[in-house]
Amino acid sequence: MPAKLVVDRLSHHYPDEYTGEDVHALDQVSLSVEDGEFSAVVGPSGCGKTTLLNILAGLLPHTEGSVQVDGREVGGPGPDRGVVFQEHAILPWRTVARNIGHGLEIQGIARSEREQRVQEFVDLVGLSGFEDRYPHELSGGMKQRCALARTLCANPVVMLMDEPFAAVDAQTRITLQEELNRIAIATRKTILFITHNVDEAAFLGDRCFIFSRRPGKLKATVKIDVPREKRIWKDLLSEKSYTDPRDEILRLVREEVFDDEE
Amino acid sequence: MSFIKGGGIELVLLIVGILALWSVLSQNIPNPSRYLPSPVSVVLSSYDVIWKGLLPNYIGQTLWRLVIGSAIGLLLGIPFGIALGLNRTVSDMFYPIMNFFQSISGIAILPIIVVWWGNSEKTVFVVILYTCFFPIAFNVLTGVRSTPMILVNALRTLGASRLRIVKDVLIPSAMPHIATGARLGIGYAWRAVIAGEMLAGRRGLGWMIFTAQDADLTAQVILGMVMIGVIWIMIDRFALRPIEADTIQRWGLVQR
Repeated sequence: MPAKLVVDRLSHHYPDEYTGEDVHALDQVSLSVEDGEFSAVVGPSGCGKTTLLNILAGLLPHTEGSVQVDGREVGGPGPDRGVVFQEHAILPWRTVARNIGHGLEIQGIARSEREQRVQEFVDLVGLSGFEDRYPHELSGGMKQRCALARTLCANPVVMLMDEPFAAVDAQTRITLQEELNRIAIATRKTILFITHNVDEAAFLGDRCFIFSRRPGKLKATVKIDVPREKRIWKDLLSEKSYTDPRDEILRLVREEVFDDEE
Repeated sequence: MSFIKGGGIELVLLIVGILALWSVLSQNIPNPSRYLPSPVSVVLSSYDVIWKGLLPNYIGQTLWRLVIGSAIGLLLGIPFGIALGLNRTVSDMFYPIMNFFQSISGIAILPIIVVWWGNSEKTVFVVILYTCFFPIAFNVLTGVRSTPMILVNALRTLGASRLRIVKDVLIPSAMPHIATGARLGIGYAWRAVIAGEMLAGRRGLGWMIFTAQDADLTAQVILGMVMIGVIWIMIDRFALRPIEADTIQRWGLVQR
């Protein structure tokens, strides 16, 4: 399978906003995500996860190394990489349907085709009946579904997700995780999902990249061999093919956290 | 406007109370027609000016100046505020300057404008324009600057151009501030047009008050004052508030 996203010896430094000291955020990170693969990036807070995502999204210029999507070097934001942010980031003055169709509008797709595609993704994320609502009329979970549909609808090569379920309540999070798995099956998208939640990473990921504390380095890669169709929380909790890699990821992440507390 | 909808009777009682107090006061002072004419004589004096067609004419003149002056103020102030807000360095530079001019009221700059352009129609318009331009531009600038960065970034990752980001994110996000700026600006302009008419000697409500004072027609002075207040309440109630409510409340940007 060809790799859709290739990160090669990526390093990043920036001056601290307050002290002006040089912060070494990422150190020689190399990883690749294959076509249709769901990859998760896990690490303690301050390991450079969000810096990595901002560089991949093209929102932050990188100082060293290379990032390629579909064989092309990344040099700024572009519609080939769709981003779902931690806070929903949908526009309050646009209805659900107009938010979801925004990417297509920017691409200059004709209205009739746009409406058809928008309806497809409204249905996919379960927002049917809410097309004409404004974001302030939706719950937190629904806003995040809307943001997800907006990104999917623009049909990016790679989806980048930055802790998208961190801001919703625990019950909604479980539902959204199962829904995202269903959507991943339906769309076969290539996804890079950033989280600090070990259970979430193991539940969603085909592969997990574990990052060390700052400067963020790729510490280990763990494969999770559970077929997507079997990823349902109530079945998975006692499934060894899930619990074994989950415990392994937990052990690796804890090493980083407890190092801190000597 | 809940005080009109909910407490209509209370409002009428309050107005009646004020009028009664005013009547009592005016009956117990010497020479009331010079110092404080009663409400009845103010109404009677309006008969005279309405009959001659002066009052409608003056109100028309004053409103016309307000509409043209503040329309130009909006047309210049909104794009100017947006343009400044686009660049962090430029907006940081202009912010204190805008704040400075916003604090110097139209009445404070009138003398120098009269020195430059004399008692002309131009003077009145320049004062109105100056008065509403800065609060409008300053508020629009504040609105653009307070746009959440995450919304701009979201659009950038969807492949949006700079122009598209201005149109789809910055302007709508600044709308509550644009509405505030417009209401403030037009409110200040309303005061400025009266002051301008007085000092630059042009027909209108301000002119009417000024000349009435000269002619010792205190009832007409008070009539002019009452007209200024009543007309402003109507402009605010029927023009400015509905526009604000229609856009902003629907988006959930301002909850009431």
